Amino acid sequence: MDKDFITRGVRRCSPNRFFLWMAPWVAMLGFGLYSAGLCLVKGLNQTNMDNRFAFGLWIFLDLTVIALGAGAFFTGFLVYILKLHELKAVINSAVVIGLVCYSGAVCVLMVDVGQPLRAWFTFWYPNVHSMLTEVTFCISCYLAVLAIEYLPIVLKNRKLRQVPSFLVFEFELHKLVYVLAGVGTFLSFFHQGSLGGLYGVLRGRPFAFREGLALWPSTFFLFIISAAAVGPSFILLTTWMVEKITRKRLVRPEVLELLGRISGLMLAVYVLAKSVDTLIWINRTSPGVGFPAWQYYSWNPFGTWILFSEIVIFGLAPALILLMPALRRRRGWLVSAAAMACLGVALNRFVMTVQTLALPTLSFDKFLWYTPSWQETGTFLAVVAYGVLVYSFSFRYFRLFPDERMLQTEVKTEEVEEPLEMARRY
Amino acid sequence: MLPWIYGFHWNAGHIIFLGAFYTVLAAVATTLIVAARRSRRALVEHRAEDIGWHSDFHDLPPQDRVCRHVLTGEFQSRECANAFDCRHCETHAKLIALRPVPEAQAAEEEILGMTFPLDRFYHRGHTWARVEPDGTVTVGLDDLGERLLGVPDAVELPPPGTRVSVNGTAFRVRKRDASVRVLSPVDGEVVETGTPGGGWYLRVKPAGHGEMDFRHLLRGAEVWPWLMREMERLQIALSAEAGAAATLADGGVPVKDIAAAYPEANWDAVCGEMFLEP
Repeated sequence: MDKDFITRGVRRCSPNRFFLWMAPWVAMLGFGLYSAGLCLVKGLNQTNMDNRFAFGLWIFLDLTVIALGAGAFFTGFLVYILKLHELKAVINSAVVIGLVCYSGAVCVLMVDVGQPLRAWFTFWYPNVHSMLTEVTFCISCYLAVLAIEYLPIVLKNRKLRQVPSFLVFEFELHKLVYVLAGVGTFLSFFHQGSLGGLYGVLRGRPFAFREGLALWPSTFFLFIISAAAVGPSFILLTTWMVEKITRKRLVRPEVLELLGRISGLMLAVYVLAKSVDTLIWINRTSPGVGFPAWQYYSWNPFGTWILFSEIVIFGLAPALILLMPALRRRRGWLVSAAAMACLGVALNRFVMTVQTLALPTLSFDKFLWYTPSWQETGTFLAVVAYGVLVYSFSFRYFRLFPDERMLQTEVKTEEVEEPLEMARRY
Repeated sequence: MLPWIYGFHWNAGHIIFLGAFYTVLAAVATTLIVAARRSRRALVEHRAEDIGWHSDFHDLPPQDRVCRHVLTGEFQSRECANAFDCRHCETHAKLIALRPVPEAQAAEEEILGMTFPLDRFYHRGHTWARVEPDGTVTVGLDDLGERLLGVPDAVELPPPGTRVSVNGTAFRVRKRDASVRVLSPVDGEVVETGTPGGGWYLRVKPAGHGEMDFRHLLRGAEVWPWLMREMERLQIALSAEAGAAATLADGGVPVKDIAAAYPEANWDAVCGEMFLEP
């Protein structure tokens, strides 16, 4: 029964082994759902957030997974709009990663906002003056687009495609997928930007406040570029991890190198833009509101090391590694640089949320400490477990890496070239 | 974002935002509706088989999608753009007009111990089609196909009266863990069914006015190079699945029941590869 659903010619572990792999993640998801349930039923008093410290682990998680999930829109844009066909080898995996990231983020947002029974209010009675309204609309729409993009992957399942209507609908929908890729790019572009755009109105937090062009603060553009830069890196990283865990070749090395190169290019642009932005902020924006920038870094543990790490260690260094063909060809360097880039964006989102709120801004303010409660951590872990479960299930039953079968054959082909020559002579 | 909510004003910002938002919704909804309508039309027009083959063909590795003129050495490399239906291929028509396929010298081709009678046409999915004196066409598995499936565990044949189409499913065969659909080489209506031991599976009455078009099928001198390529594919598939590729290494020939010779192999994968069902 289980075997009938697995793509022909690819090797998957036994159902028992798969169950053993899934069991701890299911347990973690169960714990997380319990934690989230407590927050929803009893309220946000279950968290360590308060009116003063309203950006916690969840917002950090949201911003980070949305940036990491950008690989879905950016890869879709490269494959279907710019016709970079080499990346077709990872597009399905990218869609699943995007879906997991965005749906996870939306679920956590629902817990964070609370009042789930009134979730629809945000659409029916939106606050037209809030930038987050645009974010909500864009993320909801893009999640719907990702779900539609995921549909052909599901319907292409070996067993499901035996149903004629599924087969035909998958085929027809796939022919129109470039429309969805275009829409997804448009939506992602704007909501990544809107998330960064928030800092244009955060005048009460001079550490994060930014000026920019007309309506858009510099962070609007930085969030877009950084997401586009780390999206391919995260796909590279997850593909490598899946290859290691399953001990299979899933994509050609050139595909990973191409992802690395694209990520490196975008990261270089980001580092440049971020450096210029930081210089403007240090010399103009922050002093303009009465705060010399060095003051922010006098609070331990958030010294200047964090700025150096963000720009140099997790920005410039991976960008340079990914841009050097000789280093990119070496798997260790390639994967390490991709991991560093992903850590870099996580660090940036941490700085823009948790560090921003920890720093005092008023004369009577103190430096604030925040550690998430176990309920917050549980909810965070639920998203991680949910992601692993959905991805594992998809990897087992759907064709996430179209070249997998071919690569499996190629490994063996090298061994039979001589006999083939003999066959030709015969 | 709705115009009747509190605080909404008809200003440029809202109009741009609303316009973009509703355009996105309209684009997504239209995409779904168009896909659903096209799907419905395809189902009504009984094109599911054709779509299934195109989907399968798209999923084949590039080396399995090569044009027949690559096999004969006329091209170095060329991917078939017509899903192996040369009836719609202008290049094929031009090449055949310039250099018709030479007639075979013998009545049959003996390749690596397998027999390929040349009184019939061959489909790349390992079926053959032979025109009978009464105008019907007999369809069977070629020698390599027979050896791959040995004595099938089960065969699902379409009942007489069923319409079959080129590259659609002719019949299904189960052997060990493999369950594969065998592609039809011809269009028409099934008038009689055979048995695995009988040497043929279907007898088909041509569709339309009784004239059958065989331009998409291989014949004569094309059979030998195609078979050599198929043996390569088989050896690669076997080596990947069975971990052993000694079949041809010593100059031997394929045995009558290849499946029995590889009891450990994932026969479903091997048959999927050879019968073009990825």
